[in-house]
Amino acid sequence: MIKIAVYGKGGIGKSTTVSNVAAALAEKGMTVMQIGCDPKADSTIQLRHGREMHTVLDLYNEKKQNLKLEDMTMIGYQGVICVEAGGPTPGLGCAGRGIITALEKLKETGAYEIYQPDIVLYDVLGDVVCGGFSMPMRKGYADKVFIITSGENMAIHAGANIAMAVQNFKNRGYASLGGIILNRRNVKREEAKVQELADDFETTVVGKLTRSELVTDAEEQGKTLMECYPDSEMAEEYRTLTENILKICREDGLC
Amino acid sequence: MRQSYRIIPVYTADVSGVCSALYELGGMVVMHDPSGCNSTYNTHDEIRWYEQDSLIYISGLTEIDAVMGNDAKFIRDIEETARELQPKFIALAGSPIPFMNGTDFPAIAQVIETETGIPAFAIPTNGMHDYTYGAGLALAKIAERFVQPSGAAKVTGATRTDISDVTSTGRSSHTLNLLGVTPLDFGPQQNADCMKQILAKHGWQVTSIWAMGDSLENLSHAAEAEVNLVVSSVGLETAKILKEKFGTPYVIGTPVGDFTEDLVMALEQVTNNTNKKKKSSEEESTSGGQDEPEIPYLRNRLSTSPEITLIGEAVTMGSLAAAIEKKYEKAVRVLCPLETNAGLLAPADHITKGEEEAENYLKDAKIIVADPLYRPICPSHSQFYDLPHIAFSGRIYLKRYKDILTNTTYLL
Repeated sequence: MIKIAVYGKGGIGKSTTVSNVAAALAEKGMTVMQIGCDPKADSTIQLRHGREMHTVLDLYNEKKQNLKLEDMTMIGYQGVICVEAGGPTPGLGCAGRGIITALEKLKETGAYEIYQPDIVLYDVLGDVVCGGFSMPMRKGYADKVFIITSGENMAIHAGANIAMAVQNFKNRGYASLGGIILNRRNVKREEAKVQELADDFETTVVGKLTRSELVTDAEEQGKTLMECYPDSEMAEEYRTLTENILKICREDGLC
Repeated sequence: MRQSYRIIPVYTADVSGVCSALYELGGMVVMHDPSGCNSTYNTHDEIRWYEQDSLIYISGLTEIDAVMGNDAKFIRDIEETARELQPKFIALAGSPIPFMNGTDFPAIAQVIETETGIPAFAIPTNGMHDYTYGAGLALAKIAERFVQPSGAAKVTGATRTDISDVTSTGRSSHTLNLLGVTPLDFGPQQNADCMKQILAKHGWQVTSIWAMGDSLENLSHAAEAEVNLVVSSVGLETAKILKEKFGTPYVIGTPVGDFTEDLVMALEQVTNNTNKKKKSSEEESTSGGQDEPEIPYLRNRLSTSPEITLIGEAVTMGSLAAAIEKKYEKAVRVLCPLETNAGLLAPADHITKGEEEAENYLKDAKIIVADPLYRPICPSHSQFYDLPHIAFSGRIYLKRYKDILTNTTYLL
């Protein structure tokens, strides 16, 4: 089982990219589980065509010890197993601790043993701002961390913070950095700046995604681009990115 | 191992201080904490638990409540209980989990007060401070919320002490409030009563005791007293509030042994000064005529090398030190292992942080007076005298609890 965590600045396109990669992996016949680690609970929304689903934390809040795995999951496009960790109402509780609790509950209910996914994708909210948001990269969860960024300075700063967190946790047996994914916003020196970020952390740019209107068109339809425009160039870019991610994982002996 | 404890325990925490301070006032105290920890503040630390009822509640905070910030459930549970029990007030106190979550207790208290009509307030505890901090803030809240200006408070018959003489400040002559009296420092009720009797013998009438053996109604008349007597550091915040709100001057010290005479002199002096100033200038009356707090136990202390070491709370031990010095003419120092205002300590005294530091200070001590649980870290050549302190050893030594105020055959 490959476990990957994807981090990046808020609004950079993490959920869209992860959902399209999940669809591309599923196309190849792999069993894919996508876990949204964000209180907004909208990571898998395109895969499940906007259908409502219960979050792990809402269910735990409601049912306490009687959690059932089937209540926490929903099968989305191409059979992708969708999970949303959920979290507190904005301004209350502790979202970071919520991620830890949700992932623990998922483990306790046997999510990985029962579904036996070939690949698990953790789509993590924004930056590694506290212990909770480092949970997906901890031992026993993701093996590789990929960072999505554009060439915008704020996105690069967030990317550098995340890479630094991965570096800091090296001696704890946490996930290692798999690479950087460039999601273009067409700003000046975009490729060069993202390459510099990759060089600074001795990693590579594993994929470059074009800024495409088709992505937003698909989003408008409540679906992934892979479902709406499977023959488009953009779909090919997602497939290439998917292959590159798998290649890195293979090189590391993860699959 | 600095600031770690291998042999001796730590003093009880701020949450226990809150419960202890508010125990007898008829309010509902709600600790926002997981169930299971309540045995600490209610039974181990609370000597009144088996004999006297009190409305102390634990919210039973669960992991998911903490994660989801289920404030609504917390509020609903409190309101439901409060509507049934009609407490005189609702006090909310935090523990480490809500502290980490940033739970907004003052806002929650406001919601509860608006919805139930019962006065509600928050005490900013987090379980990581000493009991003196929690108890001090709890009593200060009572002063802030319930004490009425002199003459404005509703007299409630039997609970009110009869006052006859009235001073030029409009207050009852030779009356005082004892501030900072909880079993955590003073043990059973008879010690509080004993202080009252000692002061009565010296011509001072105690009109309220904050907060043992007294009622919220009586405490609400505290502005009518001529002066406040802060008998432990727990009472200091309350004294400051009463001074700010009503201009009541205060003196810091515990009536113990021969030191009582000095304390009484300080009370006379402070009130005389206040009355004189009041007469000379009406405008100055609200300042109480006192710039620096009066701490008589710090005066006239011996400057020779200390032969006796006391360990404990700053004001009670400082007063005991002054009493011992006066009687035996042997220099005494205090080791204070609690969060305390340095101004409450004499030059030879020390604030000790952790067991190792305490052990170092005790190395050359000849005579030590402290809670029996300190004995294992005291040098074998020293003479050790037991002085149980509930905030340190709980109810273990309750049966042997000495009356530190009158037991002259023991220490004085």
